[in-house]
Order: sequence, then C-alpha cells, then structure tokens
Amino acid sequence: MRRLVEELRAALPAAFERDDYRARRDVIDQQFRTRNEQPFGDLQRRAEQKGIAMLRTPTGLALAPRRDGKVLTPDMFEALPEAERERIQHDLEEVQGELEAVMERVPQWEREHREAVRELNRETTGAAIVLMMNELRKGYRDLPDVTQYLDAVERDIKENADDFLPSAPPRGGTPMPPAFEEAVAEGRFRRYQVNVIINNSGQRGAPVVYEDNPTHQTLVGRVEHIARFGTLVTDFNLLTPGALHRANGGYLVLDAQRLLTGYFGWASLKRALNAGEIRLESLEQLLSLASTVSLQPEPIPLDVKVVLLGPPLVYYLLSALDDDFKELFKIAADFDDRLERTPETTLLYARFIAGVVRREKLHPFDRSAVARAIEQASRVAGDAERLSTGLRELVDLLQEADQIAIGAGKQIVTAAEVQGAIDAQFRRGDRVYRRLQEEIGRGTIRIETDGEEIGQVNGLSVITLGGLTFGNPSRITARVRLGRGEVVDIEREVELGGPLHSKGVLILSGFLGGRFGKTRPLSLNASLVFEQSYSGVEGDSASTAELFALLSALADAPINQSFAVTGSVDQHGRIQAIGGVNEKIEGFFDVCRVTGFTGRQSVVIPASNVSHLMLRADVVAAASEDRFRIFPIETVDQGLSLLTGLPAGEPDAEGNYPAGALNQRIAARLDLFATKAAELARSGAGMEPRK
Amino acid sequence: MTQSIKRVVVSLDAVSETGPAIDTAARLAARWRVPLHGLFIEDEELIGFAGLPFARQVTLATGREPLTRDHIEDHFRAFAERLRRELAAAAARHGVEWSFEVTRGTLTAATDGREHDFVVAGAMTRPVGDHFRIASRSWSLVATLTRPFLLARRAWEAGGSVLALLRHHGPQSERTLDIAAQIASLCKTTLTVAHHPDIADADEFAAWVSGFVEQHSLRLRTESATMEPAALRQRIIELDCRLLVLEGGRERAQLEELRELIEPLACDILIVR
Repeated sequence: MRRLVEELRAALPAAFERDDYRARRDVIDQQFRTRNEQPFGDLQRRAEQKGIAMLRTPTGLALAPRRDGKVLTPDMFEALPEAERERIQHDLEEVQGELEAVMERVPQWEREHREAVRELNRETTGAAIVLMMNELRKGYRDLPDVTQYLDAVERDIKENADDFLPSAPPRGGTPMPPAFEEAVAEGRFRRYQVNVIINNSGQRGAPVVYEDNPTHQTLVGRVEHIARFGTLVTDFNLLTPGALHRANGGYLVLDAQRLLTGYFGWASLKRALNAGEIRLESLEQLLSLASTVSLQPEPIPLDVKVVLLGPPLVYYLLSALDDDFKELFKIAADFDDRLERTPETTLLYARFIAGVVRREKLHPFDRSAVARAIEQASRVAGDAERLSTGLRELVDLLQEADQIAIGAGKQIVTAAEVQGAIDAQFRRGDRVYRRLQEEIGRGTIRIETDGEEIGQVNGLSVITLGGLTFGNPSRITARVRLGRGEVVDIEREVELGGPLHSKGVLILSGFLGGRFGKTRPLSLNASLVFEQSYSGVEGDSASTAELFALLSALADAPINQSFAVTGSVDQHGRIQAIGGVNEKIEGFFDVCRVTGFTGRQSVVIPASNVSHLMLRADVVAAASEDRFRIFPIETVDQGLSLLTGLPAGEPDAEGNYPAGALNQRIAARLDLFATKAAELARSGAGMEPRK
Repeated sequence: MTQSIKRVVVSLDAVSETGPAIDTAARLAARWRVPLHGLFIEDEELIGFAGLPFARQVTLATGREPLTRDHIEDHFRAFAERLRRELAAAAARHGVEWSFEVTRGTLTAATDGREHDFVVAGAMTRPVGDHFRIASRSWSLVATLTRPFLLARRAWEAGGSVLALLRHHGPQSERTLDIAAQIASLCKTTLTVAHHPDIADADEFAAWVSGFVEQHSLRLRTESATMEPAALRQRIIELDCRLLVLEGGRERAQLEELRELIEPLACDILIVR
C-alpha cells in the first residue's frame, strides 16, 4: 500500500496534467460558463436597454439606473421628473426580479458543474490507477476480504484524487513551511496505510501467549492517540493489539489472580470469550465514561484457548460465585502440591533438578546435592513419603546452593551447599524464632525440660511468619476443683482461642465424661490454659497435651517435664495426626539445646504422624545417639503412662480400674468430688442445681 | 527603459479578483527594485448608487436585500484591511518595500497617479458563485490610463509564455519589448514577438528584436502576427500565453475588440505607453 501511494503521488498529477484531461476540463468549464453567462448576459442586455447597469457589489450584484454612462446619484435621481422616476423604479423592480430568478439557479448550476468535474476526475483517476490496482489485487485473489478492501481503496482514491495533486499555493499570507506541508500530505495518506497488528508469518504452530499483566487494555488492545496542535487525535494506524489478538488461533495463558485484580481484565476476557470476538474499545467507551468521538474498529473473530493458572481456592471461588466461569472454563487441571515419593518419582525429580541446572546454567550438582534437595522437597511436603511440587522454591534453593558453591570457589555443588542454602533461607527469617529461644533460655518464657509437675505439660504449636514455619513449645497447665462438671477453656473465655481449639477442649470433655461419667456425676470444674500465651491459639493439635494436663491434675500424678506432646484426641481417647510435626519436634529440640540436653528429653507424637517425619539432620543424629527421643502413641493411656511413668490401667468387667493405676486414681478423685458435692447439696450449702 | 519605472502600483477594490494582481505586482517590484504601493479605491459611483432609496443588491446567500451607504462603507473598510494584509504578506515574500493607501473616487482618476508608475490591476471581478463574473471596470483603464498598465488574472505559478505584439520598432516598441523581455525573463519563459504583417522587412525586424533582447536570458521567437481575431485567439491558446503585451495608442474600438478576444482566455494583458 505504501508503494501504491508513492506511485499514485506521481501518476495522478501526471494524469491530471495531460492535455486530454485539461482539454476535457476546459470543455466542461466552458460549457458551464456559457450556460451560466447566457442568462446573466441576456439579463444584462435587457437591463442596458432600459438604461440599467449591472454592478458588482462587495457581496453580490446590484442594478443601478444610468444616464450618459454614469450611475445616477440621489441628487440626479431627485432632479428627474416624477414620471421618469416611477418608470425607473418600475424597470428596476422588474429586472431585479429577473436577476433574483437567475441567481436562484446559480447553486444548482454549480452543483452540476462540480459533479461533472468530479465525474471527470473519477474517470481520469480510474484510468490512471486501474493497472496498479489490478496488479495489487492479483496477489490477494484468494482473500475476499482483502480484495473487498482494495475495491474500497480504489473507490476512495477516485473520490479523493485531489489529495494526490499538488496543493494550490495559499492566496496571500505566509506560505506553510515545507515540513508542515509534508506532514499534512502524510496525514492525508495515512488512511491508505495498513496497520499490521499481528504478524504470525514467521511462527511455527499455533501461538502460545503468556500475558503477564492481564488488564482490559493489555487483553483487547487499545486505541492510542498522538498530540497534534494541542489536541489528541487517532486513526486506525494507532490501534495496538492485545494478548487476545496475539493468541488468536492458539493459546493464551494467564495468571488467574492477576487477571482478577487487573483493571477490568476478567470482565473483558469473559466478554470477548462469550461473544467469540475481540472488540477493541477503550475502557472509557466500555464504561460509557467518555462521549468523545473515537474509533470503533470492527470486531475480530476470536478462536482461542485460554489457560488460567492459579491456586485451587481461586478455582473454587470462581466456580461458586461466577456463573460464567463454569460455562467458559469447563476443564479443570488440578495439580497436587505433592506427589508420591517412589523410586520412579525420585528419579524424575533428580532429572528435573538436572534440567534446572542446565537451563539456569548452574554448576553441576553431585549426587549428594541432588539427594539433599530431594529430601528437602519431602520436608517441604511435610511427609517422608511425598515430594513437594513447589518447583519455584526448589529452583530458588538450587540457585542459592550454586551461589554458595561459587562463593566457596567450588566447581561442583554438594549436599553441604544445599544444606547451606536451606540454613540460609531459614536464618534470613528466623529472627522471631531466635528471640523466642533466647527468652526461654533466659527464663523469661518458662518452659520446663526436666523434673516433674502435676497438671502441667509441654505442648507444641507452630508459628508461620513470612515464609518460615517453626515450632514453639508452650506450657499447658490444668487445675481441678469441685464444681458442676465443666472444663473451662481459659483461652476461649478471653477470646484468644479459635473455634478449632475450643472444639478440641470440648472433645476432651467428652472423653472425660465418656470414660468416667457413666457411674458418677462429674462434679468438678477444671481450667486449662496456655501459660504465657498472649496471642490467639487455634487448632486442635494441643488437645492431647491439654487432656494429659487435666488427667495429671485429677490423678494428682506428676508429669515428666522432659516430654513435649503434640496430637489431637477424639472422644474415645484415640490420638490423631496433626500438621507441622517436624517443626514442632525441632522447636522442642532447639529449646532443649538452650536449656541443656539431659538425655531424657522426648517428644510424644501421634503414631499416624510417623510417616511425616523428615527431621533436620541434627535432630536425627541426636535421636540415633539416644540423646533425644520421639514416641509415637495411639491412645491417651499410652501417653499417660509414658508421661507419668505409671500404668494407666484397664477397666474390669464392671468398669473398675486396678488399684494404683492412673485411671483408678482419677476415678477415685471424681468419686470424692461427687460425694462432696452430694453432701453440700444435702446440707443446703451446695451450689444451686444447674437449670 | 524600465529604469524609468519608479513604483509599482497595484489597484485594489472591493469587487475585483486581486490575488494574481498583488502577487504579480510584488514580483515586478522586486525585479525592478522599486517600492510596491497598494491603492484601495472606494468606488464613489457605488456609494452614490447606495444612496438611492430603492438601491438593492441580490446575493446568493440572502437573495434581494437593501443596499445602503453604511453597508457599502463597512464592506470597503473590511476589504481594505484584508487587502492591506495580503499586500504586506506579498511584499514580505518578495522582499520589497510597500505602502498602502485608501482613496475614494473613480477608478481612472485614482489610478492615473504619478508619471513613473507601473499599474497592475485585477482583470476580473470576483465571481458570483463559482463562475459568473461581470466585466471588470478595470478594462476601462486600458483605454484611458497613461501609464504602463497590466491586467492580471493568471496565477504566477500557472506558467505560460509571453506574447508581445509590436507595430514597428520605434521608441514605443523598444519600451514595450523591454518590459515584455523582463517579464519573460522573470517568468523563465519563452518570449514570442509578433510583428505587424505590414512591416516591410521582417528579417530586419527579427534582427532588431534579437539584438535588443540578447541581454536577457530567455528563449525568443519572432513571427508575423495575425490580425484576424479568431486566428490570434487560436495562436494565444497554442502558445499557452500567460501575458499578451501590447503597445499603447490603440483605438478604443480596437481595445474593445481585444477585450472580447482576451476575456474568455486565462491570459494577462499589458498595455505599455
């Protein structure tokens, strides 16, 4: 098209300069001039016969009485006889009427003249461009849209041939600078340019486009503007494509969260997919915020597969809250964040690590480094039998290990560098963790790791800050007294306990009632608390520890403080798995390091968490040297015996426990409370019966 | 010869097509290094007519409407100002000194000013609509003006040759030939000098012309002129004549005949006296 315009800028002026054009134009002008002049000439002659001159006034024509070749002045007119004056006025009136009639026809004659000239110009232009246009059409014969466009171009050129001719110099005034003239000329021909918004000619296969910033404009494109003489103007050459244009016929990959937070990205994407076309319009137009005239490009048919990437929560939310989502996105690909750890997947993982090393141009990783990275993947998964599919974290780890190796002047990355990277990642975020450990060591936060206490046990919780999760031991204490069978969760009372924690406490109450309340009223009041806890407590992973503290208080049996406990419990006294078991064990291990290892310190965990153990190397080493122990348990009684060193005792057929067993001591205490409560009730000094 | 020209006067009014006249006058003033003077004439005949109680004008825009002196004078002032600006711009383009004057009177009296003036005027009235023009009153000056007088209608950029019609080779002819040669040289075009068929020795005439214009860098052609109007008209068209140069001293009837010949053609006319 650019070449066509260049050729036309030379060819059309030549065509309009040729003699045949000028001759035809002269004929037309002459015909119209004659046609126009004849009525005026006739009128002029008739006027002159009556002594009337036709004068050109600044804005029209006037008819003036004349005597002796001179127009009459008012004085001369007044000097005429009355009859003569009347005759002159009568004649003037008559001729003026004729002049008006002629003048009324002038616009029509001019329209006819302009149309005749236009038709001549069309013919001249058509003859000049026909070969060029046919030549151009040849290349696009099998593209009807393009040939249609070229037909429209041809018509437009014929209608606007003047644009290709040299412009007449301005009459008077300062001529325009050449640069300005050129800019104006360029502006005239912009409409013949072709704005190729997408060119996939060099591409093999369907386009696959990832849009990093999916907003309305980046998806559907935008109409840009340029400043010209203080105003913003645009034309189709300033249309720029969006990701949907680039991906049309292929695949568009978008981050779902960015799409939802991007400015009108989600709405515009849905609109385009629902309509099956890309409508390039500005946000102002879309929202009817602007009433300025702008371009409204023809919609472009859309055939694209859109892949949204995001966390499952986004999928669930969109499924639940957006009806269009289910219509538009029918196929879900739910990628697990973990995969089973088998020899095959371990090998695949190792290959992936090798691939990352090659792609990122890292130093070679030896087998120990690969093994350590895979172990860390299990650790991140929180399961010895699983591997994390959080590959971004893995890549970060490999890159950092590589940097450590470079810093150490090593050519090969080993397990030491991977461990160094793991430690460094932990170290960068462990300020709070270290502060807690420090305060425990100084005794500000009281954690017993030796000795015995009645109604007190070390519970374990996890804290997540930033990207770091660490274990945090807490002292859980219980006190019992005569009462109405209530277990008071102090955390809940002060609104520091979350619903799951409260549920755990209610479950242990259920256990207590189920085991000991069948034959006696539970006339006790118990209170449970996380000592030195000043923030919220959530989850049920401390319910086992709380139950142990309560039973210890009821049995008046001391608990060995060398133990820390984690796990949830059901109403039947079965211990259930919890999350973050590794961090909890390591948290207590680190506390023991601060307070001093005794060789007796241990952590009691649910047996169902054993497969999740992926402990730090130092914890594993201490365990293997029997300096630190981990006891998996399945029932409350197992744990109670472990913590108190006393047998729990099994009930006989009548539900009685053997003498000296912990459960017998608890039952006896509860009996005592019941008897005392009954006495108080009889004496009238008891508490009001519960309503 | 042209040393005697001390000023180029462009005659302006409210009804003539003045663009080509102003441009041509400015170019000639630059060529001769003389001042350019714009003379806007408020036609007192038109003002007089507007004083009549029944004076009307008919326009394309409004049809018939009363014509008053105030109306006419307002238009004169507006046109004078517009033409003053156009003259200033043309003078600036061609680097000539300029002045502007508004005067009221008849065309002849106002224009026939100083002895060494060269007068340029528009050859046509402004058209009513796109085409119809009534005869310009500037033609009346052709017969009466005692100064060299050019009636301009053709845009300078339109090109075309210069045709000079000479009757003999006396002083009057020399002056005519000199101005014609200067303008042809300025236009970088061909000068065709046509002599009267009655001249006894055509070769001698050609030699005289050739010798006279050799100081000018231009293409020269000499030929015998045809006096028959249709043939002359045809010759003007063939030569794509932009300017017809005539010696003064013709009869009014001859000039009227010439006017009828020239008016339909886009050709300027210069009468040298």
